[in-house]
Amino acid sequence: MSNILSEISAAVIAGNLGDIADLTEDALDEGLSAEEILNQGLMPGMDHVGVEFRAGRMFVPEVLRSARAMQKSMDILKPLLVESGTRMVGKVVIGTVKGDLHDIGKNLVAMMCEGAGFEVRDLGKDVAPEAFVDAVKEFEPDIVGMSALLTTTMRSMQLTINALEEAGVRERVKVMIGGAPVTQDFANQIGADGYASNAAAAVEMAKQFVGAA
Amino acid sequence: MQVKPTNQLINTTPVFEVFTEDEIEAIYYSALRVLYETGVRVYCMEGVDLAHSGGAIVEDVTEDSALVKIPPWMVDRARATLPRKVTIVGPDRKYRMELYKNQIYFGTGSDTPFTIDPYTGERRRATYEDVKNFARLAEALPNIDFHMSLGIVQDRAVGTYDRWQYLAMLEGTNKPINITAVDMEGVRDQFEMALIRVGGKEEWKKGPIFSLYIEPVSPLSHSKEVVEKLLFAADNDIPFVYTPCPLAGATAPSTLAGTAVQALTESLFGIVLSQLRKPGAQVIIGGLMSNMDMHTTVYCYGSPEMALLSAGYTQITKWLEVPMYETAGCSDAKVFDEQAAMEAAINIATAALVGGNMIHDVGYLEQGLTSSMEMMVASDEIIDMVKRILRGIPISDEDLALDVMAEVGPGGHYLEHDHTYERFRTHIWQPKLIDRRGWEDWVAAGSKTYGQRVHDRVIEILETETEPLLDEAMYKELRRICELADARHKDEELDMKMFG
Repeated sequence: MSNILSEISAAVIAGNLGDIADLTEDALDEGLSAEEILNQGLMPGMDHVGVEFRAGRMFVPEVLRSARAMQKSMDILKPLLVESGTRMVGKVVIGTVKGDLHDIGKNLVAMMCEGAGFEVRDLGKDVAPEAFVDAVKEFEPDIVGMSALLTTTMRSMQLTINALEEAGVRERVKVMIGGAPVTQDFANQIGADGYASNAAAAVEMAKQFVGAA
Repeated sequence: MQVKPTNQLINTTPVFEVFTEDEIEAIYYSALRVLYETGVRVYCMEGVDLAHSGGAIVEDVTEDSALVKIPPWMVDRARATLPRKVTIVGPDRKYRMELYKNQIYFGTGSDTPFTIDPYTGERRRATYEDVKNFARLAEALPNIDFHMSLGIVQDRAVGTYDRWQYLAMLEGTNKPINITAVDMEGVRDQFEMALIRVGGKEEWKKGPIFSLYIEPVSPLSHSKEVVEKLLFAADNDIPFVYTPCPLAGATAPSTLAGTAVQALTESLFGIVLSQLRKPGAQVIIGGLMSNMDMHTTVYCYGSPEMALLSAGYTQITKWLEVPMYETAGCSDAKVFDEQAAMEAAINIATAALVGGNMIHDVGYLEQGLTSSMEMMVASDEIIDMVKRILRGIPISDEDLALDVMAEVGPGGHYLEHDHTYERFRTHIWQPKLIDRRGWEDWVAAGSKTYGQRVHDRVIEILETETEPLLDEAMYKELRRICELADARHKDEELDMKMFG
């Protein structure tokens, strides 16, 4: 592997926000393609971060810092990737469902999905079913992620899935749900495609759904 | 911009106190009265003569003992030369304990006849290999600062097992060690081994690599062997732990204040005698202060009285400015179970919060009759957890984080903020064996209870290969002292049931 690509990997692992943009520009100047930088520089770095995180040697704020470093590089690479028609890992629409203002878990999943190379549209909190439907139509994601902390707002997940069905877009996406009171049984019951019990597991599942795992 | 507070009392470490200063003084001056008026019985005439020449009153002399009464001024004089700080190091000087005031160090306990086999779970007699393995555990666990054998070596000759124990410990750990000795010959042999290990008497003086455990007998008795060990330790610059083990309600008054007075009287005699022998002799006092269980008659290692009395006594030693030998990480449970974890958590937290210096008996079960590797590993994590509590809640401007709050604002989050990134590792404690996963992840990882995870960790440490700590020549030289001792005691029958 070229030296600059391993430097980019190392910058992602270290969460080095100061150098990552310059390194990305240098790599492009050396004649490397955006796709090579993404797949051989950024992604191996994030994969290593994932391994360290699962082993309990890196922790959430550090993983997010790495994800942020990757994002800074992606800001430069994205137009080039679009230009060359390179497919991104996948697209995710995510939000905390209607009636619920608890968004820390959803934010965590969104940030970690970005770190894994997904394009993420974060709809925020207290998101009505119709807003999810509109976002699916406009953004054409591979995955819709829904979060709820309250047992009382878990019902909104069912209502959102119903709305996606009524709008005729349910089959275009995989629906993933999560949140402290949510279980696999509940996911089965409401017809979600997947349930993840934590942010790292959610990213793994999202990658599987888009065939990137 | 924050308003700077002035004249503010800051507690970086939370404070736990049992006694006020007036109460400590009441106990201390009571002990002086007991030492002067009731006196202590001394079964070593050399010790009696030394006390007498130093100003003590000697009465009721028998063939082998005398009642010794120490006037308060002798205690004052002894305290004037008593070191306020005692340092004990590991053989390679990497690990060290600086025992004074609030410095806390945790360590294991000594000679248990039994141990729980880490593979079979069977309770059986301890062997050389067990003692070596406990030392390897001590070496591996970050919160164990000093080590004691956690087993009597019972696959060697009865009269010499202490040398083998010391060798097994030196094979397993480079941390400071608190040794026990079967007799004076055992002290001399182990001291010779230590001098070989550390490189001679001058090196020893620069930093002793063991302390010697000496236990006077409650109530108020000092046996021949105990006094001889004390004199030898004083002569040879060996720090020693002079700690009685009073049983409230049996060998001491049932009131905890009364037990504290008596224990202090017993240790003060050791202080006085040691300073008469050699001003500057290094003494650590304290001990196992607990109660007798009034139903089973056992000596309680997990009782609230043990934790409370030890904590109170620690305050007394701080007031006296003499290092304290505290007790924690021990239990009356027979195996490492919920009771063991509960009792250890309570007594470790209490000992640490009050700031005992040399906190021993981590790994003890069944009133110190059985040692457990699981108890030791579990306690290591309890200690880690308690040390987080001791770090307290600092309140600098950076800690109060008003600027960060203003920046994040209502409805935002702190996960990605530099303030979080730079501080979470020091401010938020991360457990190693405690499980905080959700149900599904826990099930996916095998649904293991804390006990099972602790067990796995024990096995992992035992099966991780480590570099030998003693080179071949050093090992042979040390072993030769053990073998010579065996040769001298060869007529003594090897009796595995001697403690049974």
